[in-house]
Amino acid sequence: MTFVPLIRLPWRNAHEDRRSLPRHWVDSTSLTHRIDAWRLWLADKPRGYWLLYQSRPAEFCAALAALWESGRVAVLPADNRPETLARLAETVDGTLPEAPDVTATRQHDTAAFAIPEALDPTATAVVLYTSGSTGNPVRLAKRFNQLDTELAAHTRLWPLAGSGVISQVSHQHIYGLLTGVLHPLCAGAPFYGDPCRYPEGLIERLKEAGEAHLAPVIVSSPAQLSRLPNHLGWHDSPRPRRVFSSGARLALAHAQHTEALLKAPVIEIYGSTESGGIAQRRQTQDTVWQALPGVELSFSKGRLALRSPFLEAPQQWWYQPDRVAPRHGGFELLGRADRLAKIAGKRVSLDQIECLLAETEEVREARCVDLERADGRLGVVVVADEAFIPHQRETRHALIKRLRSRLSSHLEGVATPRYWRFVDALPSNAQGKLDHELVQRLFADLDDHKAPRWLGEYRADVTSCCISLEVPERLIFLEGHFDDYPVVPGVVMVQWAIELASTSFGELGEFKGIERLKFKQVLRPGARFTLQLTRRAEGIAFTIDSQEGRHCTGQVRLQTHGGKHG
Amino acid sequence: MSENYNLTLELKRLIIDTLELEDVDPSDIDPSAPLFGEGLGLDSIDALELGLALQKQYGIKLDADAEETRQHFASLEALQSLVEARRVN
Repeated sequence: MTFVPLIRLPWRNAHEDRRSLPRHWVDSTSLTHRIDAWRLWLADKPRGYWLLYQSRPAEFCAALAALWESGRVAVLPADNRPETLARLAETVDGTLPEAPDVTATRQHDTAAFAIPEALDPTATAVVLYTSGSTGNPVRLAKRFNQLDTELAAHTRLWPLAGSGVISQVSHQHIYGLLTGVLHPLCAGAPFYGDPCRYPEGLIERLKEAGEAHLAPVIVSSPAQLSRLPNHLGWHDSPRPRRVFSSGARLALAHAQHTEALLKAPVIEIYGSTESGGIAQRRQTQDTVWQALPGVELSFSKGRLALRSPFLEAPQQWWYQPDRVAPRHGGFELLGRADRLAKIAGKRVSLDQIECLLAETEEVREARCVDLERADGRLGVVVVADEAFIPHQRETRHALIKRLRSRLSSHLEGVATPRYWRFVDALPSNAQGKLDHELVQRLFADLDDHKAPRWLGEYRADVTSCCISLEVPERLIFLEGHFDDYPVVPGVVMVQWAIELASTSFGELGEFKGIERLKFKQVLRPGARFTLQLTRRAEGIAFTIDSQEGRHCTGQVRLQTHGGKHG
Repeated sequence: MSENYNLTLELKRLIIDTLELEDVDPSDIDPSAPLFGEGLGLDSIDALELGLALQKQYGIKLDADAEETRQHFASLEALQSLVEARRVN
């Protein structure tokens, strides 16, 4: 099994070694039949650019090879949302169907087409799109020689002899295309022909590969590796030769967890659609990223530039929008230099989400934030006029649903913000900015189930403070209070007043008692309310009001050590 | 209330807590409405998270042989039948 570049049509290099592969696995022998069917289907169609979206790697690969053999260019949409396909359909010569509808008799008639000796290395092979989640996805053409040099680098670093490849990522993107489909195709290595997104399927594929005496290679992503379940019986399944991860940064803990579970090295590949692969590392051994063969790196002012044969213009320096720190033998990645977040490997433009939201009637301004939580989800702070600020759970729920549905025609699900905070003005620090600390405060209730949701505060003078708050639905104190009619217990309201007073006014001392405490009406989950705090000589006075009216009022006596009041 | 009712509520809470759906409460989840795409609007990452949670909570190992196992996630009703049939704890 040797490496055959794409321009030499590796899929026509059927080798003798016909091991008994399980159902749905693909090798170049089994591919030929499907390629021929696609060639027949294409025989009377226009030439040029063809839109190709297939969820199954096997059919995708067959259609791709047929397009290439017949001198056509494959245009790969990043996703198959109707809007995406409709938009791109206008730019191409045709769209490939789910399957070629050629009749059985014609399928044997292979005289209808010729198989070229070789393909032109300078011809365009594929057109890719950077992401389905930004408003204007960048269109990128790749020549055969770009793909072939990158595949040659893969084969040098990670030869596939004796391997079977199982991909968990989409081949409509560059990483899945190269690593999950084209590399095995060029190396003559079998690969799994159906999508394999979930761990239960993965473990079955590992067993199948093992039974066929193939060393499994897994092409995965942080979205999947960070969610590998422990108890699936990995110890009984064949050890993979290696596990690839790309598309976003994999946390060290998740790399370690994967290596412990699968007993295989986890190799991360860093790159982008524009640049191709840039560097790789095995994080559990060394956190420094090392350039792929042929990639030349340069560092200036914390930014990374590179020249590489995988680039459209190999001689020109390409500036990568990531901040880096040079290290011996490579570099460390510090994060993006632009306002793009990576959610489940998809590039998401925070600016675009903000613009889309600002176009709606209800939203005056929006600030989208990458909360850097383990779940990878985005938060958004929405500034709305008083008329649109939700005051009850139902109105808040309905507003979020409306805003989400407006985003859904432009964004993929994973890119839609999950955590929403509605404010009448953006909270700001002394410099007038919504800084990291304020963002933390706005979303603190996600991890602290005892706290109210803080939505900003107003200080009229040093002795008074008016705080906007909401009752989080998942407040721990709601549980078991009244199951069918959850309310905030009165003692919790008092506790909040004391805690927030010490945040606003500084340490107020020891609790000495409560006076003039009155509960007027219940406070329900999802309700927006204001806490009015006044500093008094011997403690604080507070009132809790909402659109419903007054909920609670009282005075708390507090005494600092050595203080005379009380 | 019946055991059935309790499991429905339990699963709703599991979904809400696992997926941090802060604006959703159990009464918002229609048992027959789709959980993914339209309806509750869950996505592929949520499917992975739910798979993990089912394993932790009920010891359910999803069928390995097909991607279609995630059809158990089509609606709360479908999910509930899965849990009733396959729970080990």
